[in-house]
Amino acid sequence: MTPNDPTFQPAAQTDEELLNAHEALLAKQPDDRAHYKLMPLALLFFFSGLILFAATYLNRYSGHFDKTIYDENALPTDHNVEVKIDPVVFGKQLFASSGACVTCHQASGQGVPGTYPPLAGSEWVNGPDERVISIVLYGLQGTVHVTSKSFNAAVMPSFGPSGFNWSDEKIADVLTYVRQEWGNKASAVTADQVAAVRAKDGAHTAWTEPDLLQIK
Amino acid sequence: MKNGAILFLGLFAALGASWAGIVVGSSTQFGALAPYYDQVADQSYPNGLAGEAARGQLVYRDLNCASCHTQQVRRAGFGADQARGWGERQSVARDYIYQPFVQLGDSRVGPDLANYAARKPAAPDAAAVYRLLYAGQGGMPAYAFLFEERKIVGQVSAQALPAGAGVTARPGYEILPTPRAQALVAYLLSLTSPYDYPEAKAAPAPTAEAKK
Amino acid sequence: MISASAPASAADSGVVEAYGHRPLLFLAGFALFWLVISGFFALVAGIQLHAPAFAAGCSVMTHGRVVALAETAFVYGWLGGIGLALTLWILARLGGEPLRAANWIVAGAAFWNLGVALGLVGIAAGEATAIPLLELPLPVQPLMLVAYGAMAVAGVLAWTGRRRDVMFASHWYAVAALFLFPWLFSIAQVMLLWFPVRGTLQALVAGWYGQGLWTLWLAPLALTAAYYVVPKASGKVLPSYDFASLGFWVLLFVGAWTGGRHLIGGPVPAWIATIAIVAAATLLFHYAIVWVNLRHAHGAGVPLKFLGFGLSAYVLGGVLDALTAIRGVAEVTQFTYFSEAQHQLAFYGAISMMLVGAFYYALPRLTGRPWAWAGLVRAHLILTGIGVVALVIGLGGAGLVQGTDLNNPAVSFAEIAAHTEGWLLLATAANVILLLGNVLFLINFFKSALCPFYAAAVKSYRGEAALEAAR
Repeated sequence: MTPNDPTFQPAAQTDEELLNAHEALLAKQPDDRAHYKLMPLALLFFFSGLILFAATYLNRYSGHFDKTIYDENALPTDHNVEVKIDPVVFGKQLFASSGACVTCHQASGQGVPGTYPPLAGSEWVNGPDERVISIVLYGLQGTVHVTSKSFNAAVMPSFGPSGFNWSDEKIADVLTYVRQEWGNKASAVTADQVAAVRAKDGAHTAWTEPDLLQIK
Repeated sequence: MKNGAILFLGLFAALGASWAGIVVGSSTQFGALAPYYDQVADQSYPNGLAGEAARGQLVYRDLNCASCHTQQVRRAGFGADQARGWGERQSVARDYIYQPFVQLGDSRVGPDLANYAARKPAAPDAAAVYRLLYAGQGGMPAYAFLFEERKIVGQVSAQALPAGAGVTARPGYEILPTPRAQALVAYLLSLTSPYDYPEAKAAPAPTAEAKK
Repeated sequence: MISASAPASAADSGVVEAYGHRPLLFLAGFALFWLVISGFFALVAGIQLHAPAFAAGCSVMTHGRVVALAETAFVYGWLGGIGLALTLWILARLGGEPLRAANWIVAGAAFWNLGVALGLVGIAAGEATAIPLLELPLPVQPLMLVAYGAMAVAGVLAWTGRRRDVMFASHWYAVAALFLFPWLFSIAQVMLLWFPVRGTLQALVAGWYGQGLWTLWLAPLALTAAYYVVPKASGKVLPSYDFASLGFWVLLFVGAWTGGRHLIGGPVPAWIATIAIVAAATLLFHYAIVWVNLRHAHGAGVPLKFLGFGLSAYVLGGVLDALTAIRGVAEVTQFTYFSEAQHQLAFYGAISMMLVGAFYYALPRLTGRPWAWAGLVRAHLILTGIGVVALVIGLGGAGLVQGTDLNNPAVSFAEIAAHTEGWLLLATAANVILLLGNVLFLINFFKSALCPFYAAAVKSYRGEAALEAAR
């Protein structure tokens, strides 16, 4: 059988020789003949180069191992910006949401004459912050005078703890919207103000006009 | 290396390290991503697949559609995904949290489907998708076995494929999608990226210094 | 350089194979069968790329399923079976003792191949998992795991029971492959199928499994064979053997970190892709060491020709992996036929070719007689050599065209199909050539391994008949 016989490849060394030869290679002192060898050095340089590249690349493009970073060029400061909600936009959406303000006061803010009082130009809406917060938080019953007309047919429901149970933010935002729409020009309402009223009055029942007028 | 025990321990350390680093590491980081609650819209995103769409995903999976279609849009400037109208933002992990079998895919013999139901310029309607599945088009083979030809009894049924554009039934017969086809189409038409999560917004263009 | 003085063929066979050859031939024979089966499905899948309507009429031959069938038969049926057979044989040879627990190999091989067969039927029926490299239907997977364990027992016994305490490079790789596959396989099963993780983590675990399967199982199986057969057939020691163990540990520790390689720009945080890129680059060191150590593979003789081819493909594949991991390159090659070309270069060009080379070396020692037909051996070498090169060039060319076109939104998919058609036809031609070569391989195997048994059986039957007649 010749070495080039495709049907059989003769072995050039036994298994024993193979094991012995390679064991001897590992057992010998690395510098036994003090020969300069290019290969180990070249491999070590290559390895160091790869490690250097790896470290540099990882450092630059890791995205700081942040779960919100999808673009490797980005830095964490580019993200994690708190999303700002425009109170007027949000408030308008709340105003128009089903079962809320728009049902009675209408999208135009004019209410229904004789039944539901208007918000546009209302002295209540443009009056002291705490008053209007109280109305929305706890509701209002009994006769109420708005733009020198009297309304007694309906009850303003509570959007606070005994009613729709809206959060402070929602109440603040819807009030801010109402107070700046349809020509109203009152100041914005903050969630902190709502929280303060809520803390002060606790589980208050619906307000009446005389009680409200006590609030300055 | 003579010591078997060292080899054995080394092997397990090697596998364990990559497992801990990649799998466990990312699992703790985004394995339990919460849906995103939008206060303004008073809605959480994304939404789970509706029942029929979820069954459709199983059809998508058993036909291995992912062998030709991806479901991931890359960011603008990295490939032409968005220029091709496949989506308007990069897909992010949160898009997939409610999908039982995530079908990212790794081949684009056909177009990307991540945003199929809302693709630009024209979003497909159910009739068009049925026709595409029944007759095939270009590189897309026909999946006629998802349909059946049935004798018309009385009136033509409402679900029958309208004739024309590759759809021809024998006279007196109509072509109807099987429940599998209906589920698949429901799934395909549920594929959208409904919401721009904060992490999906494109990062500001890198400065010249940061670029290299 | 130390060279063995005398040809060692005389002292080189006999006792070691005494108890192990039939189980190993059983395992290898099935593996060859799956190679041909997978070649058939790969051909169908390849044709469907440029003629989508081909065989699309029935659900079994849907492109997605055919792709899964070809891949499963190739990886689990062919590479797993032949790699394991060779690894067990090499462990027995280096241990200097006959294989123990041979019955376990037979039982394990029977159930492993039963698992592959059931798995293929399941995939054809639509039960595939649609996870690349883990397409086997869920119910089959535990069976495969147990069957693998049964076969690995024989390997572990051959390793722990070796006559001398010395360990050679093949030992490391063999032991790594034997132990790591079950762990990898079971973790992937649990995390992807039994209790699936959530969201894109699924894709990441699948990527980790796919890269792990390659770097922790298939590559070690092939390197076990290469590190053994190359010095045995060339008679030379490995030139930089003191670096071999470093190369081994780099592969093991860095390999599976490339798991996010296919998720560049995808819906996972950027650091995952960055780590994969860094790992793919660092892995170049492993490829350099393998190349330096095994460069004698390019010698005379059919086994060394296959091994040399496989080794070149292995190193080239590693370099391409590192190149296409660069984000600017991935932007073009990702999601295209180019990835498929790399896959074929790695699985077919590297792993399969190395294992075939080692099998050409091993079979005469298992059966005790040379291969039956020299012509078929030569034809197989030429056909697979041409086939793999043509396949990789065809798919690679198609991939570059496709990638450039995809990144130009003005080019429609119909135009992309037209631009890639020529390249894909080349790939189909390559698939035909490969299938033909592998059929010849299978025929030669039957003639070489089974006919002797048949002849012996006939002879003993005739002998008995003659005795009957004489009575």
